[in-house]
Amino acid sequence: MKGLRKVLTPFAPDQSGAVSVLYSLGGMTVIIDAGGCTGNICGFDEPRWHDVRSAVFSAGLRDMDAILGRDKLLVSKIANACERIDASFVALIGTPVPATIATDYKALKRMIEKETSIPVLAIPTDGMQLYDEGEARAYKALFETFSMEGGSLEKIVLGKTPLTFGNGFEDNTLDDYKNIGEKTKITAASASGIEAAKLLGRPYEIFSSIAADMAGSIPSGKVLVCHDEVFGKTLRDKGVDCDIVAFFTLHDEIKEAGDRKITEEDEFTELVLKGGYDVIVADECLKPLAEGFNGKWIDAPFFALSGRR
Amino acid sequence: MQKKAVRYTVSEIAKLGKDNIPAELLSGQGLVYSSPATLAYNSPGAEGFGVKRAGLAVPESVMLIVSPGCCGRNTSIVSSMPQYKDRFFYLMMDETDLVTGRHLKRIPDAVSEVVSFLDKNGKKPKVVMICITCVDALLGTDMERVCSACERALDDGTRVRPCYMYALTREGRRPPMVHVRQTLYSLLEPMEKDPRSVNIIGNFAPLEEGELQKMLFDAGVKNIRQISTCGTYEEFLKMASANFNIVTNPEARAAALDMSNRLGIPYIELTRVHDVDRNALQYRSFANAVGIKADVSAEEVKAQEAVGSLKDAFPDLVFNIGECLNADPFELALSLVRYGFGVDEIYATLSPEKFKYISKLAEISPDTKVFCNMDPTMLYYDVSSSPADISLGKDAAFYCPEIPNIAWNSDVQPFGFQGITALMNEINRTMKEVRA
Repeated sequence: MKGLRKVLTPFAPDQSGAVSVLYSLGGMTVIIDAGGCTGNICGFDEPRWHDVRSAVFSAGLRDMDAILGRDKLLVSKIANACERIDASFVALIGTPVPATIATDYKALKRMIEKETSIPVLAIPTDGMQLYDEGEARAYKALFETFSMEGGSLEKIVLGKTPLTFGNGFEDNTLDDYKNIGEKTKITAASASGIEAAKLLGRPYEIFSSIAADMAGSIPSGKVLVCHDEVFGKTLRDKGVDCDIVAFFTLHDEIKEAGDRKITEEDEFTELVLKGGYDVIVADECLKPLAEGFNGKWIDAPFFALSGRR
Repeated sequence: MQKKAVRYTVSEIAKLGKDNIPAELLSGQGLVYSSPATLAYNSPGAEGFGVKRAGLAVPESVMLIVSPGCCGRNTSIVSSMPQYKDRFFYLMMDETDLVTGRHLKRIPDAVSEVVSFLDKNGKKPKVVMICITCVDALLGTDMERVCSACERALDDGTRVRPCYMYALTREGRRPPMVHVRQTLYSLLEPMEKDPRSVNIIGNFAPLEEGELQKMLFDAGVKNIRQISTCGTYEEFLKMASANFNIVTNPEARAAALDMSNRLGIPYIELTRVHDVDRNALQYRSFANAVGIKADVSAEEVKAQEAVGSLKDAFPDLVFNIGECLNADPFELALSLVRYGFGVDEIYATLSPEKFKYISKLAEISPDTKVFCNMDPTMLYYDVSSSPADISLGKDAAFYCPEIPNIAWNSDVQPFGFQGITALMNEINRTMKEVRA
């Protein structure tokens, strides 16, 4: 049945992706939820939470706030926090609750900016899309809010967040983004990195250093890679003859014959059964879906998929 | 900007009164900081019991979480525990479901597919809990009707019950952890009473074997049932035969009232306290109320000795106390201060009901400070100014990394004299190790 998960747990959602991009930038991130979504992010999807404190808060919505659409109360809560918490911007992160009550993010943004004189990034995630979509939306809001012209930054890597690369993530600062200039070398390290690089309208390379390091250890044969698309492309660029299957975004510029975007557990099982692969490179949480596969499995942890670092 | 965590002394709070508690100390008044205590409530994961883990307290049950993907995300922590393998399933909602509510029509088919999948693997469940979240709370979904449709579709006796993970209702009359207890015990059907059976309801892990059980057995009780000690669904159903219920957690009060009305099982509440005299008084009142004779003087003496021993060894001990522990932090603070110890800081969310402790603390320890785990300024909390020797509660370890900590948050619940004795002995042992 479409949408029914019997083996895998849900993947990292868009709201986690949005927070992942903004976490280290010195802003105040307000997740517009009752508490559970923030709990999932700070307690699970954001490995930096326990090491580096960041102003990530829940809006603490209650049923009557949502039913009555108490935007003014939310603005007041945020303004009150801005008086006590040092923040260079406020980011509003959407969840299923504002999606259900059709929150007007533009209006909220204007009201908060008027009240606090702090720039506001409104990111209308809804918890039903996947993390790479949320990351891309966060980059878009960031680039629209802060000027990215005339900087002298030498290089920047986009999309190398913990959700794709676990502990191998690479943080940027707000100044890094503000200093992107014509000569800045841009690397897209994941699907969201490609989206971000496109928004900048500048040439970019597609490359995952973690995949490149793994390329030499993959035996020859027919290989299936199930990970982020940039991970798969980098392996291919390094000489691994592989098909890429992605639960997340698969851009046309990466897609080749044999590559496939999937959404359901059964689709992965069918691919493995019918594909005749000798090697699978994927997070081992997918193994129960590949019963009968007798080839070699190379574990490639993918946090957004399994929660493994 | 001060960049400082907001705190009030108990003296200041007492002067303001229970109707004027500062907003920073209350739940639901501002933005919420994800302290360890907040996360323990909002994202319990493998420790403690949130709605998801609690919903599976019934033996031989499984759960279908019907929600946007984000709501089930952290369940992978619980799913990895052996006792929860093959017990969580997900039906993911998308934006169209949100607008049209079409997901509700798919639930019976999804439940049937899950039951069939488990049946093929020799694990057919007796109960399917359907967990729904904030979205369906706002949509006003009638889950009783959906569950009835599922039972009709299965037509094999498998029970299907709703389980509400509504974070939006945390401060409401029926918050999620109250509601889930009502749901679990709603599975019980009326049956013949057994005068020698008693239930202890309140938590999802058992009460530690202690004087309460001994008191009941001495009075002729043969069966003491707790949901967590029922090995099978059939055993769980026998909870309906109890002569009376003992409620050890106020969050189970609504479920006890339901059982009283529906099954004719009366209930009596016992509170976990850390003051030896108050505990003795509570047991005497309990024995009188249920008409039994109770002699727990040996356990009372042990508790007094444990307190005395700690006092002799460390007469000037100062504590910081969190709220991720098997105790009410304000009650525990008051008891420790009454024993002659010091309490410098408490990290806990205040409510008017806690004023019975606050007003007494204000008299004997007016400078004890209260921080709210949920307040955004806790981002700036700095422990360096606290003279505490030891912290209690798992969350307190986060705020006080430089001093020894006793988490005191096991699933198995300490209670009564035995709980007091165990805690005092644990503090004594820890301090002796640290100062050896």
